[in-house]
Amino acid sequence: MRFVRTKIQQMKGAVNPGRIRALAKKEFFHIIYDPRTLVVLFLLPLVQLIMLGYAMNLEIQHVDLAVVDYSNSRLSRKLTRAFAASPFFRPFVFEGGPEEIEDLFLRRKAQAALIIPHDFDRQMLRNPFGKVQIIVDAADPNAAGIIRSYCQRVIASFQPEAGAKRPWLVDLAGSIYFNPDLKSSYFFVPGIMALILMMISSLLTSVAIAREKEMGTMEQLLVSPVRAPEIIIGKVLPYIGFGLMDAGIILLVGMVLFGVPFQGSFLLLVLLTLLYVLVGLSLGIFISTLARTQQVAMMMANVATVLPVILLSGLIFPIASMPQLLQYLTYLIPAKYYLLIVRGILLKGSGLMHLWVPALFLGILALWFMGNAIRRFKMTVED
Amino acid sequence: MRVLLAVIHKEFLQVFRDRPMLAILFLVPFVQLFVFAYAVTNEVKHISLMVVDFDRSQESRKLIDHFVKTEQFDLKIVSDNVFRIRDEMKAWHVQAALVIPPDFSEKLVRKQRPQVGFIIDGVDGNAGIMALAYARGVLERFHAELLPTPQYASLLRQTHQAIVEDRMWFNPDLSSQQYMVPGIVVTILTIIPLMLTAMGIVKEKEIGTMEQLMVTPIRKWELILAKILPFLILAYVELSLVMAAGVLYFQIPMQGSYLLLALLSFIYLFAMLGMGIFVSTVTQTQQQAMFVAWFSMVVMLLLSGFFIPIANMPDVLQKITYLNPMRYFMSIIRDIFQKGSSLQHLWGDVLPMSTFCLLIFGFSIAKFQKRIQ
Amino acid sequence: MNKIVVETRDLVKQFGHFTAVDRVSLQIWQGEIFGFLGANGAGKTTFIRMLCGILQPTSGEAHVLGYDVGQESEQIKRHIGYVSQRFSLYPDLTVAENFDFFGGVYRMPRPLLEERKEMLLERFGLRPFAGMLTGKLPLGFKQRAALACALLHDPPLLFLDEPTSGVDPKARRHFWEEINRLAAEGKTLFVTTHYLEEAEYCNRIAIIDRGRIVAEGPPGALKQEFGSPTIQDVFVSIVSGGEEP
Repeated sequence: MRFVRTKIQQMKGAVNPGRIRALAKKEFFHIIYDPRTLVVLFLLPLVQLIMLGYAMNLEIQHVDLAVVDYSNSRLSRKLTRAFAASPFFRPFVFEGGPEEIEDLFLRRKAQAALIIPHDFDRQMLRNPFGKVQIIVDAADPNAAGIIRSYCQRVIASFQPEAGAKRPWLVDLAGSIYFNPDLKSSYFFVPGIMALILMMISSLLTSVAIAREKEMGTMEQLLVSPVRAPEIIIGKVLPYIGFGLMDAGIILLVGMVLFGVPFQGSFLLLVLLTLLYVLVGLSLGIFISTLARTQQVAMMMANVATVLPVILLSGLIFPIASMPQLLQYLTYLIPAKYYLLIVRGILLKGSGLMHLWVPALFLGILALWFMGNAIRRFKMTVED
Repeated sequence: MRVLLAVIHKEFLQVFRDRPMLAILFLVPFVQLFVFAYAVTNEVKHISLMVVDFDRSQESRKLIDHFVKTEQFDLKIVSDNVFRIRDEMKAWHVQAALVIPPDFSEKLVRKQRPQVGFIIDGVDGNAGIMALAYARGVLERFHAELLPTPQYASLLRQTHQAIVEDRMWFNPDLSSQQYMVPGIVVTILTIIPLMLTAMGIVKEKEIGTMEQLMVTPIRKWELILAKILPFLILAYVELSLVMAAGVLYFQIPMQGSYLLLALLSFIYLFAMLGMGIFVSTVTQTQQQAMFVAWFSMVVMLLLSGFFIPIANMPDVLQKITYLNPMRYFMSIIRDIFQKGSSLQHLWGDVLPMSTFCLLIFGFSIAKFQKRIQ
Repeated sequence: MNKIVVETRDLVKQFGHFTAVDRVSLQIWQGEIFGFLGANGAGKTTFIRMLCGILQPTSGEAHVLGYDVGQESEQIKRHIGYVSQRFSLYPDLTVAENFDFFGGVYRMPRPLLEERKEMLLERFGLRPFAGMLTGKLPLGFKQRAALACALLHDPPLLFLDEPTSGVDPKARRHFWEEINRLAAEGKTLFVTTHYLEEAEYCNRIAIIDRGRIVAEGPPGALKQEFGSPTIQDVFVSIVSGGEEP
């Protein structure tokens, strides 16, 4: 206990709040006077939000289906009508043969083809099972999978006699928790918050520190009475402010424009967001000690922080679908935990009892990265 | 010519002297390739499932078995408390839940169509829809197993069924990598010329050498060419490396013509280099250049059909995508790789892309002045 | 025999509402060392940039070596040398590589380039540093390298923007000796500085304050006119003498 108290005393003695305020002010003006970066910082997430919010819907509709009907019978035409009745398909009769279907796909005139054999009528009425063939353009495998399953559904429920029903034993009653309309904006607003917070707290700060080094002004600061921790805190404070403000705006837009709910505790969100920002800052500081120029700092920060957030944190692509190796890697990515936290709090009303595991991981990452960052920074300063 | 050679010589000297940058330039695309190829997938697998079985009969266990057998669902929790479902979802332990009522087997045997509940976590809408579709699929397989048995076969006798044989062309394994890797090629051919050209020119502005250069009689086209040539070459080198990795390691099929690919890449690269020049004229610092380039790239990417098929976007956005050169290039690349499309098939994309590329490049050149401000 | 190499008439440069250069009219004669004095931010760099043809004037006229700065800037650039305030050789290239580069840009034939390169390296004492990255040169040598590079294509007119900032007095004296040597060779030199004592080294000077010329003429004449022993005193009396902005 005494150890902790002396440590706190040491820290208090090490930093002068007045100097920090001066440094923070200078950095603040630096940022304000750079309108282009600011514009991008505020505009980019909004644009992403709008696009992802409105656009990310994977429902397939109006699939152009080429129908090659060799049978040309009452039943085959009935089958074709069944496809036409579905909103997913736009069938059209195709006079050519299977060889010309590839050309149809290449010229993007159709995404799938239905081939009805010439003895379809006879088969359907005689055997219990009549056979048809579908060919799907699987260049987009996801769409292809969905198209295939829709085809199967239409075909499975097709009955030759009017009013006949296919045999069925068990019904499935589906229900949706937390996001009954399956709005994609609910999913992406937290994701963009996580992205922008990481971008500002790590990418921007690492470039800013690297720029100070590149321009030589870092040296000047270091020979003044200002101490290393003050430099860092002063530099970093405005970015925290902007980051939180930016994330707040995203959230507000999400809530107002898309109706994103806020089910859980505001306090919990703020606390854990600060923790996340701390992790981002540590990463930014760490990277800045490795890079001598801004360009290098930027590329490093991109690879180490921004890209993983976009690709590996579960922002868009589900972690469970990735190969094992990558899944292990995701344990190191702070955004992964933050996303669980934000999505949980906003959309599900999760509390600390639900989210203590990701919160713990975030805390551990924060300590680890911060410790390393401070250690490295001290090293580069002392030589 | 003399001037051009002198400037190109200088540019290459500078690029090769910047060791850390060089390392990054050659490492990053590979890292991106591998990570993208493995992480970027629209497939939904290993959905964590919770089962609440009130019936606990042979039939219900058979149904659960069908769910567990697939790669699509991972059984995580078995419970007898329905109210736990919400909490487990809140804690992200499960994404879906199957609820089997107590009278399931009883109704089933009497052919009275029992109902099972399937609850999905709607937060990830895409995964939710897929989970529901998978559940229906599982049910189909359950029926396929049960219906032919003597108990229920009578139902079948009264009806006729059509069955379907399906063929997946161009990508029989439905490998998402095959779909994504060509897209990665496009992103590499975008980010390198765009960001590096912009930052390179702005760096000279920042340190003052651009001013010195402007005072010399160097002609505008010589200056621009010297700035874009190294990155043009670099982009091609990276393209070859990434394609080699894609084809050899990931075994992505490359059905089409390499020559056509190289040619169309050339057109696209000019647009991106042009955009890089444009960005350099509207920014003052490297940081700004980086952010503006990044911003442009993200917007183009979102509107290109890489993550989200264009047909799924709202009409307004679809119309905007027609102005995006990346949109055309993305579908060209994918078709060349997967379908072996030749020029005659691709005209619909090549023409607008070339037009836009020329316009962008021309406009950027016009905007670039051998003057300050 | 003395011709006018630079002539400006009511030259103005405005950035939005801010007027950096306010109706400056000057004439500079061949073989002169013309000093342009003023505080930081007075408009010196803006003025030089317009004369070099890299900044468009807002209004007014200017001719350099007979060419109009607005329309014929490219011709001007062939015949001038420019040393900017900030060090602007490529820091990641060696001295020799910078020379080769700029020589190439000025389309100098190889043998001529080699000859002049050797001569300039010798003359400015840069021989031992020829293979060093310019970014790593000590400050005094950086300035020398920049000046040497500007002389590569033997321009008749040189613009030097604060060439002696941050340089120690001994190096500054060397520098001005070099300037004089160049003038003796027939070159015209336009030098800006905020070191007012350097005015004594110039044939004629102009003092600029907030975009306006407030004094012009040979240093001796100005000192007499204002009854001041040094140009510093002249400056102080003009600038703090309640001049209207």
